[in-house]
Amino acid sequence: MGKKIRVLVAKPGLDGHDRGALVISQALRDHGMEVIYTGLRQSPLQIAQAAIQEDVDVVGLSSLSGAHRTLFPKVVEELEQRGAGDIPVVGGGVIPSVDIPYLLEKGVKRIFTSGSSTDLLANYIKELVDPQTKPVMAPKKIAHIGIAVESIEQASTFYLDSLGLQLEGVEEVQSEGVKVAFIKIGETRFELLEPINEESPIRKFLDKKGEGLHHIALEVDDIHARLEQLKVNGVALINEEAKLGAHNSQIAFIHPNAASKVLYELCQYPEGSES
Amino acid sequence: MGLDKENSNANERWEKAVSKATSRFPERKETFTTSSNIKVDRLYQPKEEVNEELGYPGEYPFTRGIQPTMYRSRFWTMRQYAGFGSAEETNKRFRYLLEQGQTGLSVAFDLPTQIGYDSDDVMSEGEVGKVGVAIDTLEDMEKLLDGIPLDKVSTSMTINAPASVLLCMYLAVGEKQGVPFEKITGTIQNDILKEYIARGTYIFPPKPSMRLITNIFEFCNQYVPKFNTISISGYHIREAGSNAVQEVAFTIANGMAYVDAAIESGLKVDDFAPRLAFFFNAHNNFFEEVAKFRAARRIWAKIMKEHYQAKNPKSWKLRFHTQTGGSTLTAQQPDNNIVRVAMQALSAVLGGTQSLHTNSRDEALSLPTEDSARIALRTQQIIAHESGVADTIDPLAGSYYVENLTDEIEKEVNNYLDRIKEIGGAVQAVEEGYMQREIQHNAYEIQKNIEKEEEIIVGLNKFALDEEIEPDLMKVDEALERNQIESLTSIKEKRNNEKVNEALAALRENAKDEHSNLLPFILDAVRVYASVGEICNILREEFGEYKGV
Repeated sequence: MGKKIRVLVAKPGLDGHDRGALVISQALRDHGMEVIYTGLRQSPLQIAQAAIQEDVDVVGLSSLSGAHRTLFPKVVEELEQRGAGDIPVVGGGVIPSVDIPYLLEKGVKRIFTSGSSTDLLANYIKELVDPQTKPVMAPKKIAHIGIAVESIEQASTFYLDSLGLQLEGVEEVQSEGVKVAFIKIGETRFELLEPINEESPIRKFLDKKGEGLHHIALEVDDIHARLEQLKVNGVALINEEAKLGAHNSQIAFIHPNAASKVLYELCQYPEGSES
Repeated sequence: MGLDKENSNANERWEKAVSKATSRFPERKETFTTSSNIKVDRLYQPKEEVNEELGYPGEYPFTRGIQPTMYRSRFWTMRQYAGFGSAEETNKRFRYLLEQGQTGLSVAFDLPTQIGYDSDDVMSEGEVGKVGVAIDTLEDMEKLLDGIPLDKVSTSMTINAPASVLLCMYLAVGEKQGVPFEKITGTIQNDILKEYIARGTYIFPPKPSMRLITNIFEFCNQYVPKFNTISISGYHIREAGSNAVQEVAFTIANGMAYVDAAIESGLKVDDFAPRLAFFFNAHNNFFEEVAKFRAARRIWAKIMKEHYQAKNPKSWKLRFHTQTGGSTLTAQQPDNNIVRVAMQALSAVLGGTQSLHTNSRDEALSLPTEDSARIALRTQQIIAHESGVADTIDPLAGSYYVENLTDEIEKEVNNYLDRIKEIGGAVQAVEEGYMQREIQHNAYEIQKNIEKEEEIIVGLNKFALDEEIEPDLMKVDEALERNQIESLTSIKEKRNNEKVNEALAALRENAKDEHSNLLPFILDAVRVYASVGEICNILREEFGEYKGV
């Protein structure tokens, strides 16, 4: 990681509502950025001068008074006139969505309206300032829990009859040499994994450890970005690249040594599919 | 038994107060009943003993309300805050709201007016007429109030740093309508301390600001006795991110600072305290809000009677306006806001508010449209006329939960008041940024809880829609700023500038003398059409400007 990202949070115009500006300043600091807050009642010229003087990477404007159409473009203009047009300007506050295209056209990079999360903003700024460090969203949920079994038929009676869960289907995944039974529980699933040939990793697991918990799969948004990020962080991987899994998903395994001997699978479902 | 006797004495005393009150304001109905014809009494009390912390409505410590009959006689005043663009447009909205059954006016001013800049000032660019009506000179005020009889309609003005100027303009319009000062009713917000803490429309440093406020107290006590000289506001403190306890604590601490300042300037507490009014927020946590209003009344009553030794019972009463919480509205699925507002408004009514503003569903997106403003007013009318909650006084009294919350809030507020006293009072605490830090800390915690989904906001972090429907929004005409500047220019040419200069010179002379009351000089200046900006600039030069903590 290079030097800290520097952000100027500014209140243009006469608006005195600075709850949002103050909360965002604090949140960006918690994301490791250096934040300079201008205080109230700054003219576009003052904001541009402060941005240049403080050598910031990005300017964030907040207005709730309805003056954004006049004042946000003025800040962009003042920066350009001082040869600092490369400092990106983002804005937020009470901004009707009909005004957003106008503001973008006038050179504002992005508008965050009421209700946007501070994480979203922080990640956006990181990406804006350094497109190389594309932010990676944390895994969303447990996609499934994989259990190695000798026989799906025998093992499933516990899940289906004793627990009363529903079998969603059975599928063979040739690449892994397994037959998989999907059993839905809440927003996630159990996967019973039965080897279909001697080369199957599940066969090797059963021979070594017997039946039992095999892996936990985590659903991620962007498996490629996540794998890159894990590599950068020095996390040992079994699969350096994603490969095809069940349901047309893309999957990759993390080495158990990286996670207290638990085998984790990363799993990204194709867009629009039910996960 | 002695207890029974005491109770029956107290009961008789209250019944007397009731007959006195009902002779002036008869109850809305001869008898009140439920849908099943069960009789609804004016008041329900415990059978055994009446807790003196609760007392009777209209009696110290006013936990159960400030009037002996509360809404059995008159509903709260339905007062919708409105104002946008030009004075003529706002006048139209006012007349519309009065026709729709609204019972009082509430003026929103644009930011330049609130911060004492004329529309043609460079600082006003982009802000003219945006969040309220633009007022530069008396002429704008005349247009704003055209056809509205000031002896019949009470007007609340959200104006703080230049409150003295706008009050004088209002009085001057009254003069022109032939309404004497004694008959003018209404409220100015005039609460500068919460501007430093939470709202941001300050101009001058605390000391001269406090002087202007006590000047108003003194002037109104003498000439405008029915006018509420201040509305000590917790609303914006809550909007800035405080919790309910902090809202009450900081508001009451500010109130005490104004009382102290007025006493120090030589006024007697009973000369101005009956004209102090308060302004609170109605937020989401329903029972906590009801308890908050009840606790606030009790705390203030005790402070005025015991600490300031006020003798007039009117000085003990915390009268308040309520507005539903603007920051609770979501830009997502804006119609959901109607439901939020209805519940918040109900909490204010069950808490015994004197007047109420209900927010419009679209205020997280822009200023309200006429449709949205009407639904907001209808919400109050439905609570008043259909729900039956106004048929008996303080109906939640005696609820174990509500009474416990009321006691707890009182205790926590007193802890804060002790801390602020240790710091040296509210003015000192504001200057040190104490309240600002407390509020900011709480605001950040709220945001984190929402993002972690520990606090659920329906339609925002749960039950969200993939695609939002964009409602019709209110738009302020972009040409307005230009027109307002043109009309100001023409007034400045038309008026007698010699008289303006004389009036401004007299104002400057008297601003230098801290014992002089500035109100008569401001009144002279507005009468000859000196502008808000001209008057405030004289005071800026004499008083200096506040620059924030």
